[in-house]
Amino acid sequence: MVQFNLPDNSKLTDGDYYKLESENKRVKKFKIYRWSPEDDKNPRMDTYEVDIDDCGPMVLDAVMKIKNEVDTSLTFRRSCREGICGSCAMNIDGTNTLACTKAISDVRGDIKIYPLPHMPVIKDLVTNLKNLYKQLKSIKPWLIKQKQEATDTENIQSRNDREKLDGLYECILCACCSTSCPSYWWNSDKYLGPAVLLQSYRWLQDSRDEERKERLKELDDTFKVYRCHTIMNCTQACPKGLNPAKAIAGIKQMIAQQ
Amino acid sequence: MESAKNAWKIHRLTTILLIPLIIYLFVRIIHFSGEPYQLILEEIRSLWSILFILIFTVLGLIHMRVGVNEILEDYIHDESAKKVINFLISSFFILILIFVCLSMWLILIF
Repeated sequence: MVQFNLPDNSKLTDGDYYKLESENKRVKKFKIYRWSPEDDKNPRMDTYEVDIDDCGPMVLDAVMKIKNEVDTSLTFRRSCREGICGSCAMNIDGTNTLACTKAISDVRGDIKIYPLPHMPVIKDLVTNLKNLYKQLKSIKPWLIKQKQEATDTENIQSRNDREKLDGLYECILCACCSTSCPSYWWNSDKYLGPAVLLQSYRWLQDSRDEERKERLKELDDTFKVYRCHTIMNCTQACPKGLNPAKAIAGIKQMIAQQ
Repeated sequence: MESAKNAWKIHRLTTILLIPLIIYLFVRIIHFSGEPYQLILEEIRSLWSILFILIFTVLGLIHMRVGVNEILEDYIHDESAKKVINFLISSFFILILIFVCLSMWLILIF
């Protein structure tokens, strides 16, 4: 059966409070999920006061400021800080998004930051994405040609065919969509989830790919695609403004027409 | 159970077919309100009404069966538990169908 309650050792407790020394009035509280595998303690919510006049405009700026100036043990992923790499995906103010593109001013009141939901936590805001990458590999996210010699020449594509990839190729695999999907929460071992299915659709739509039939045959499974019940959380969560739900509907349509 | 693709097609098809049938059912119920009991019985005894009720019941049950199976696939991960629940639900739906057929037969003979 699906587990609906958190196990006892996952229940959140109140953590430390890091008060800001200055008398600045523009202080924002950041409540951040903390958990370390190095001790047996339950996860906790630490609160950090940050002077937003002395901080960059984005949530990532504040988190980095906290790590640099207040608590060096705070662990999170980040890289490009401009919404391209997808590393800093986390749950901010109840929504999965990229910390680098989420403005502090967009959040009213205290800012609560959690790791991506329903994923195994490695430490603090860092989640284990191994399963997602394994699923991505399973859909063969690369161009497949039937004849080997075809790879030696340029693959010509018309403008119209290229346009079919718009709204699909932009995915940065941040996993915000998959981890916002309840179907993925319950069946992440078998359901591929919106991020991987968007990628799958991207290759199904590629006019140069010659493995469409086999790709569709692989997807025609009770779990891989059909656990999607058009909840649309994925589309709402995508920080790049893409529409994974539409891509999944497209896959279902392609399978039905086969 | 049928393949995932077929289940998906059946679910969509029965949804589309049920929409006009449900609208028609509501229109009929509103039309019947305030009418004498004997007149309503006469209406139900007509061939069209019997056909409508049977088609509606069969389509509704198929739609529910596929829908419930989706829920089972979502939340029940134990295969043997899934089989037992599937059998119970199928039996329940067959009972509903028998009950509807029996009701129609009783309306026709009395």
